[in-house]
Amino acid sequence: MSPTAFGVLLVVVSTMVEGFGQTFLKKSALDIARRHRWILLGVAVLIVEVVLYSGALRFLAVSTAFPITSLSFVMVTLLSWWLLGERVTPLRWIGVGLILVGTSLIVAHA
Amino acid sequence: MARGVPVRLVIGLAVAIALDTGLQLVWKTGIADLPDTSSAWETAIAIASNPIFIVVVAFMAAQLVNWLKVLDHADLSYAKPFTSLSYITVCVLSVAVLGERIAPMQILGIVIVVAGVWCVSQTQRATLRAERIEAGAE
Repeated sequence: MSPTAFGVLLVVVSTMVEGFGQTFLKKSALDIARRHRWILLGVAVLIVEVVLYSGALRFLAVSTAFPITSLSFVMVTLLSWWLLGERVTPLRWIGVGLILVGTSLIVAHA
Repeated sequence: MARGVPVRLVIGLAVAIALDTGLQLVWKTGIADLPDTSSAWETAIAIASNPIFIVVVAFMAAQLVNWLKVLDHADLSYAKPFTSLSYITVCVLSVAVLGERIAPMQILGIVIVVAGVWCVSQTQRATLRAERIEAGAE
């Protein structure tokens, strides 16, 4: 695997990890009785993401790595719907889709 | 943005974008300063001895505190897409500060991102508390 491909893989995994971290942080706003536990869990997961993303920045330019993290919008939207029960309307999905298309264009010409 | 969105939430989202932008630029600067070594120990020592990483951690801590407040007022699937506006601020700052150039396709990308964020902003910000919102409590 080339260093660039490895860097891209690290960013992709880090965005998946971020989806879970964000879900735990939102849980802290919903489950007040166990707020601190959810925050700790969320922060622990986000620290794993930081390590993965820092590793990715060793192999990639920030102008390449940062826009790939837009995949986290898909992860976050899926997990918000699946684990939190948020109502994700078609318009919200269209918005996320447009954001992905837009960031892809920014990346492709970075 | 749809009506009924609290000013506190708008400010929280704006602060999140500003912190995200600052963090990305400082983080990359710090990582670029690291020595070219495959040793995890040497990398850890270099990180611990470079003050720029204190700034990185401070940005992350501020971001976490602000983000928890944002999530008190909105769905995760509503709030998170707004942070995509930091792709635009990073792009614009790289032109203004670093003298980089933006391609026409990147400008089109920025316009599409803004359109996407606008779509999300037109949806209900807190579906988990939908009953309260529909009853006019907020």
